[in-house]
Amino acid sequence: MKMTHRTGGRSAAAQAIFALALLFGLAAAPHAAMAADETAAQTAADDGGDANDPLEPMNRYFFELNRFFDTILLKPVATWYDGVVPEPGRNGVRNFLDNLRSPVILVNDLLQGEWDRAGTTASRFGINTTVGVLGLFDPAADWGMPQHSEDFGQTLGTYDVAEGAYLYLPVLGPAPPRDLTGFVVDIFFDPLTYIYWDKSKTVPTTRFVLNGIDQRARSLDTLDQIERTSVDYYATVRNLYRQIRKNEIANGNRDFNDLPDIENLNFDTNEPDSPQLGF
Amino acid sequence: MVTTLTVHRTRRMVAPLALCLALIAGAVQAAASTGDVAKAFVEEVSTRAIGIISDKSTTKAEREAQFGKLLDEKADMDRIAAFALGQYLRTPTPEQKAEYLGLVRTFIVKVYVTRLSDYNDEKLDVLGAKEKGDKQAIVQSEIKFTNGREPVTVDWWLIKNDGDFKIFDVNVVGIWLAQEQRSTFTSVIRNNGGDFNALLGHLRAQIDKAEAGEVPGANASN
Repeated sequence: MKMTHRTGGRSAAAQAIFALALLFGLAAAPHAAMAADETAAQTAADDGGDANDPLEPMNRYFFELNRFFDTILLKPVATWYDGVVPEPGRNGVRNFLDNLRSPVILVNDLLQGEWDRAGTTASRFGINTTVGVLGLFDPAADWGMPQHSEDFGQTLGTYDVAEGAYLYLPVLGPAPPRDLTGFVVDIFFDPLTYIYWDKSKTVPTTRFVLNGIDQRARSLDTLDQIERTSVDYYATVRNLYRQIRKNEIANGNRDFNDLPDIENLNFDTNEPDSPQLGF
Repeated sequence: MVTTLTVHRTRRMVAPLALCLALIAGAVQAAASTGDVAKAFVEEVSTRAIGIISDKSTTKAEREAQFGKLLDEKADMDRIAAFALGQYLRTPTPEQKAEYLGLVRTFIVKVYVTRLSDYNDEKLDVLGAKEKGDKQAIVQSEIKFTNGREPVTVDWWLIKNDGDFKIFDVNVVGIWLAQEQRSTFTSVIRNNGGDFNALLGHLRAQIDKAEAGEVPGANASN
């Protein structure tokens, strides 16, 4: 459904594609000058912007640091949470946290000109806060208004702002400049930021920690599998992050025209059986 | 998209009409049939793959052997292996290239028998197909779960090799798997100063780890 859902109207996908063209286009541009028989193979052979990681040694250091804290703290807590709290309870927590985020999602829907999705977010917030008992349940999803997320990093993405060099930070994880900016701006969009409990940071901090535990609990198996089946866990996470963000910015609409040219990709383009057809 | 979907569901009714159309406009008919061929290909491959993954009466080694056979038959392994090297495509010597091709096949079989173990006994619905040039097609599909989990979208990027479709890449919820492999393979080579042997070493180590049982064969909790 996602694929055909929003083909009309101002297309966030088109903008995201343009942003990607910027990202990848810069990397691909020099290849145009290459010998004709090299061009096709090289276009497919560039690494899709993966090299854009000038701070890689520092990033890897923080990555390992986070893995260490994950091993001794976050993962055990998440495993405990996953084992002790029954699934309906965990879903209630997830729904509650998602509902709390609605204002931020709404602002970003609006900033992206996504009026339909903004309407959905507003309706969801109204329904789930009342019928859904302060957001613990998600009746709106059953009534044809499924949850979606937005953040200011994605909003910038729809306005063609490139992700920038990869950055991996302690605690936060992947946070390239565009998305780090988005993270900070979203804090200002968030009403929770301005709620004063016993201290000014109590509410947002509790939410941040709870959210982290819930997210980690939901990805226990997935992350284990990815770690065990990767020749370079850091590089896998970096690539998955970029692909996931790209997909999120396009709101799940996939474009198949920006795929690399693989038709003449071969280990040895001089082989007699290499395809020389076409123009 | 909508037309191909309809054709799929009511093929019997539409067939005579399609024939008439074919007589009028050969090109239209040819286009439709390429999409149908691509969809049928994906249906066959996914049914076989799910069958292999779901068959818990076989040992992990047997599942891997069957999955490997399926890949040899239906995936464009040389092209995938070449793609995964990115900018280092021309780095390996002929001997290194030969070893790489063998290792990468074993590696992919082990990785995906593991990663796909989540999807046992599920059904994949083919939604539609798009042609991409003369030789390529994208088939869109969806895995629906019986336990109410949100459906997973799967796109199949096919390319014709000697007239038959082969799999080049698969996109699961927005992630292209071959692109992910490429990013790790190139990263290993780059971080070892362009030494291709480093990649071969990493692949060997990862395969050995899998052999030693560190990779869970079929997700123990399932």
